[in-house]
Amino acid sequence: MFFFFLMTSQASALGAGDRAPDFAAPTLDGAGRVELSDYRGKVVYLDFWASWCAPCLKAIPEIEEIRSELPADAFQVVAVNLDQKKKKALRFLEKHPIGYPSASDPKGRLPEQFGLETMPTSYLIDAEGVIRYVHPGFKKGDGSKLRHEIRALLEK
Amino acid sequence: MRRILTIAAAAAILITLGGCTVVKPWERDLLARRDMAFESDTLEAAREAHIYFSKEASMPGGSGGGGGCGCN
Repeated sequence: MFFFFLMTSQASALGAGDRAPDFAAPTLDGAGRVELSDYRGKVVYLDFWASWCAPCLKAIPEIEEIRSELPADAFQVVAVNLDQKKKKALRFLEKHPIGYPSASDPKGRLPEQFGLETMPTSYLIDAEGVIRYVHPGFKKGDGSKLRHEIRALLEK
Repeated sequence: MRRILTIAAAAAILITLGGCTVVKPWERDLLARRDMAFESDTLEAAREAHIYFSKEASMPGGSGGGGGCGCN
């Protein structure tokens, strides 16, 4: 029973149709703040990542490529880094620079709110702030699937 | 005496269960480190497993029957 309680004590995972919780968090470099509501009116791709998570690191260059292909006035990528120590994440970004903001949430409050079930997980959020697509994990070939989902939402 | 022992055992179990937790996906920072792996060298571990199930005539891995030739 104790273990059953442990297993069920996690917050329920947000999915398509749920409203994305608004958040504000400091940027990874500590120089600014990232606020989800700032991008209301745009399609937002929200990516949770960490430097110790190999598929997350594989996804980042692909996400950056997608971002550069799409119009900046209609599409925005927002990342949330979950490293407890930022050093490794910053080192990774030095080698693979990104053109989108990455918040830092070392205490994991945001994944708790979203009910993250795996790493990485990304959420495609429409202009009204409603989650339209959830992408758990990242493997070879997922980039084209993401492109398809994002383009379909942009065309709506 | 027996009752005291039962209570003590129950208390010990309850106290140790307090240390149990579910590691959330974003909390695997330290667990993802190479030195936290059960096997430090995956290739070496696979080789050892192969020798084990070849010698023990078990397939696949450490469980199940058959094999023994080491050719699988």
